[in-house]
Amino acid sequence: MAAATQQLVPAPPLPGGGARDRVTRARTLRAFTASPLTYGVLLVVSAVFFVPFVLMVSISLASDQTSATNMFTIIPTEFRWTNFTDVFTETGLPVGRFVLNSVTIATLSAVGQVLSSSLVGYAFARLRAPGKSFMFMVVLATMMIPAQITMIPQFLLFKELGWVNTFLPLIVPSFFSNAFNVFLVRQFVSRVSGELDEAAQVDGLGYFGIYRQIVLPMMWPILTAIAIFTLTASWGDFMGPLIYLNREEMMPLALGLQYMTSTSNAMQLPPWNLVMVGSIMLTAPMIAVYYLGQKYLYEMNVSGGSAGVK
Amino acid sequence: MTAALGEAFGAARATSPRRAGGRGVPRQKLSRRRRAEARWFWVFISPWLIGFLGFLLGPMVASVYISLTEWDSFTEPEFVGLDNYTRALTQDPVFWQALGNTFFYALVSVPLGLVVGVWLANLLNKKVRGRKFFRTMIYLPTLVPLVATAMVFKMVLAPSGPLNDLLGVVGIQGPSWLLDPVWVKPALVVLATWGAGGATVLLLSAMNGVPKEFYEAAEIDGAGPVRQFWSITFPQITPIIFFNLIMGLIGAFQIFGQVYILTSGGPDNASMMMVPLLFREAFSFYHFGYASAIAWLLFVVIIGFTALAFRTSRSWVFYETEVR
Repeated sequence: MAAATQQLVPAPPLPGGGARDRVTRARTLRAFTASPLTYGVLLVVSAVFFVPFVLMVSISLASDQTSATNMFTIIPTEFRWTNFTDVFTETGLPVGRFVLNSVTIATLSAVGQVLSSSLVGYAFARLRAPGKSFMFMVVLATMMIPAQITMIPQFLLFKELGWVNTFLPLIVPSFFSNAFNVFLVRQFVSRVSGELDEAAQVDGLGYFGIYRQIVLPMMWPILTAIAIFTLTASWGDFMGPLIYLNREEMMPLALGLQYMTSTSNAMQLPPWNLVMVGSIMLTAPMIAVYYLGQKYLYEMNVSGGSAGVK
Repeated sequence: MTAALGEAFGAARATSPRRAGGRGVPRQKLSRRRRAEARWFWVFISPWLIGFLGFLLGPMVASVYISLTEWDSFTEPEFVGLDNYTRALTQDPVFWQALGNTFFYALVSVPLGLVVGVWLANLLNKKVRGRKFFRTMIYLPTLVPLVATAMVFKMVLAPSGPLNDLLGVVGIQGPSWLLDPVWVKPALVVLATWGAGGATVLLLSAMNGVPKEFYEAAEIDGAGPVRQFWSITFPQITPIIFFNLIMGLIGAFQIFGQVYILTSGGPDNASMMMVPLLFREAFSFYHFGYASAIAWLLFVVIIGFTALAFRTSRSWVFYETEVR
């Protein structure tokens, strides 16, 4: 456990990697022997976990009639690729705009979090000040406050500011950092020796200069992790947009999709095949980001500790 | 990083005495350089500090006040004391139903997710070929945004959907899940369990960190794989299980999107939970006072469960750093 702590930074290889395999042992320990049953269980679980993905693709390729009558199958039998262009034109909703809105909100949120948490985290890791440890306890304590407590007053505040139906309520708070990201940056910077900053200080570089020229460049692994995490959280966020955005052209994709299914009335069923195309558009970038940022999986995992319950 | 998580929780125990001792040290006058450094500290943390005051502390105080009023945000708030709280606790049957449903959901989905997570992690920790493939398959669901998950599970859980087809194969007549008051909560648990892979990946990396010497010694002593799991693996990963338990409970008590999208709390409030109820009171009925009171009651529930988990943790969570 202690060894794992020290190799925290930079991100260690993915769990289950080659490190152990490289050590040649006379034979595999019994606790690690994989029986055919192990493979059987893993195969079944993987298959079951994968079914919703197949279903998503299958429905997204179904014709309107099939999806309206719930006649779709798990394994695709129809291949209506035009659904992937129809989603932009045939739903009566500005789906292209939804995507653009999602990209805008997610990108600006990530920029805000990276900038602010790097500043704050650096200060907590390196600068000395009376009251610092108390403030850090406050930072940690704020992680305990559920968002629902502040949701209503925040809404009333932003409404007062005229920010309803703008992206501001979803973006601006990111520029004031969040406790968890501050914690991550602080842990990261604390583990790196401060010799370089001290040398720079002797050479007459100010604190902002040290941050800008020395600490910031070395923080990029953790900042990338924070950017990835903010991007995914913001991209998938449903409640925030639901509270603040009710004009179609302002909606991000996550909200727009739900809107697509809720606007249909009893006479007209939701276009499930196009909704599934939208779901794929919502999911695919997240899987892509995960693969590109896999190296930082460890840092992301911490944040995703509760991912199982979302 | 998993170690860091355990460490973060362990640190709370380890550092508290030292902090108390630190207060006794006489305060020294700071040199000019140290004063400048301190000033910069406050400048650097100002984004967080402003956000803390403006978006957290301020709203929290406001929330306490709002919860003591009746307010629709259009007319003047009317101070009603603790009426909103007593109304929730004594007069509103939907509140108790939502609380009960949320308890059911949290107390079933989180332990179940952890059992599945530990079980899968233990399988993946063996010398399996294609471990990377299996790990990806199990982790993939956690990458799907909530709204997309909900959309797909609306189809998966349809009365004639794939889940019931699967149950039909083994001869079980599946219920109509989201439309059935008895099965709607288990349906939400099914949806949550699909994401158990998030815990698996964390637990797997914790299992990787367990020294192999323990297993070698146990093997010489003749312990079987099951015994080795309960006597070595499990105690060693308890900090990560504990972390997942706490984070999972906090998250589960705040379930919203799934309910809002899939059931709107129905049928017959059978899947109404705390946050959807709060949301409906606030943003559909404009009962901001009542909704704020529900938010604080939710907070009390979450804090209560977290405290309970921490209290029991001494008897089952093992921090190596404490022994040394």
